[in-house]
Amino acid sequence: MPHSAPTWSELVQGWELGIYREPIYCGLLAGLLLGYLGVYIVLRRMVFITAAIGQAAGMGVALAFFAQIHLALAVPPVAGAVVFALLFTGVFALPLERLPVSRESVLGVAYLVAWAGSVMVGDRISQEAHDISSILFGTAVLVRSEDFHSLLAVGSVALLWYAIGHRGVTFALFDPEAARVQRLPVRLIELTSLLWVALCVSVATRALGVLPVFAFAVIPAVTGLLLFDRLRWVLAAAASLGALAGGGGYLAAFFLEFPVGACQSAVAALFFTLALLARGARAWRSLLPA
Amino acid sequence: MSDAARIDRGSDPALLRCERLQVGHSGRALVPALDLELRAGEFVAVVGRNGTGKTTWFRTVLGLLAPVSGRVIARPGLRLSYVPQRIQLDPLYPALARDVVAMGVERGLSFISPRLREPALVHGALERAGAMAYAERPFRSLSEGQKQRVLLARLCVAAPELALLDEPTSAMDAVAEREALSMIDGLRREQATSVLVVSHYLGLVREFAERVVLFDSACETVLVGPTDEVLAHAVFQRNYPRPGGDACETH
Repeated sequence: MPHSAPTWSELVQGWELGIYREPIYCGLLAGLLLGYLGVYIVLRRMVFITAAIGQAAGMGVALAFFAQIHLALAVPPVAGAVVFALLFTGVFALPLERLPVSRESVLGVAYLVAWAGSVMVGDRISQEAHDISSILFGTAVLVRSEDFHSLLAVGSVALLWYAIGHRGVTFALFDPEAARVQRLPVRLIELTSLLWVALCVSVATRALGVLPVFAFAVIPAVTGLLLFDRLRWVLAAAASLGALAGGGGYLAAFFLEFPVGACQSAVAALFFTLALLARGARAWRSLLPA
Repeated sequence: MSDAARIDRGSDPALLRCERLQVGHSGRALVPALDLELRAGEFVAVVGRNGTGKTTWFRTVLGLLAPVSGRVIARPGLRLSYVPQRIQLDPLYPALARDVVAMGVERGLSFISPRLREPALVHGALERAGAMAYAERPFRSLSEGQKQRVLLARLCVAAPELALLDEPTSAMDAVAEREALSMIDGLRREQATSVLVVSHYLGLVREFAERVVLFDSACETVLVGPTDEVLAHAVFQRNYPRPGGDACETH
């Protein structure tokens, strides 16, 4: 029997049954949230922090299992993931600029330590190792209701913090020394901002998986930076394009029958390509005689 | 240790006081201990050849580096503002020139309170610094000299009691540099802002500064005193010799 392509009526039917509602909402929300936060991640030159937080969370889950199996301690794996993601992120709020190496290098070292640690601990809990990925990494196809609501709660508070602290966050990011001289609590601002990023990334990864979360945290922000010269417009563009990639990517995956996370990333990359072309066209026009 | 000469001292309460302050890196002092008091409305220039420790001293005074020994005592609640030496600001950061100037308004936790409109101060500061023409341009697209004007406008907006400027005009031409230092001097006269500026342009130092701090690492000397006295001092002559033997103007 020939395979028939999915139709709108099937999508609507699935929506009414509630099958697609939360994954689409979650894609929209994660795209919007991580698109917005991603601007700060990209401007801090820490794009790989998203992947690294996932790896640290993996180590936290592995240690939670280790504690359950070998130490008879009832540590919830998700708590292990969140605690390790936060601890890991705390490292980047330290005064790393005093070291004679780049922040990116420290990020690489921390990522590798977390990776090696989770493999080593995983080796001692091999019977549970398969659960680590299921606890850590969701699939964007079907999103659990509690994951969506966790993301909604954490994301709302994170956006509230960034909205309230926007001027301080941007000043501390742009010119931290002048901000310190003007007595802004730069280190605290940095730590709080990064902790919210860590929480959002770990909760979103649990709901959707690593690939779309990494994509949402990087591609819309870079696209916004290509398109606009003012932070507020970059933030608005990144959040909007992230949401469009999250929702649109799900629909594209449904109709084209591709994996959801990959499709969401591809839609974000499509926006990036269009922005790159627009920027190129703008640069070309400026070279033409008036 | 060397001679750290103190030539004058006023009676006004100090805004900021350096007590036996030694600065350096990794616990190693670059220059001898220095005592200095800055009072309201003073214009003090810091001079010295490259690598003499001016910037390290400056950053220690600002609290950005820890002293090797001694201490810096600022009057409680002192409003400081800073213009960095080079344009150390993030070249990727998407901000218009006036957004950068508006940052000067922030102080402590002021950023938490809502501000629906940009303060009128920003407009005035851009005018004053001669940066109005590019207020709406992305900061990253400006020339280095234009960026320095924008940072000077940010300094004006901050209405500091003590302004610390580390080679704030290094990318400007001679005319623009004079205009900029006149503007800073105007700030000093109008608002009794105390100014501490690192500069290599000795002609302007002579014109604007009341006191000079001279760093000389070769002789391990720091001189502090009235401009005329320091510029006539043998240590200064040794640092800035004219071809004929006298001190020369440098930029």
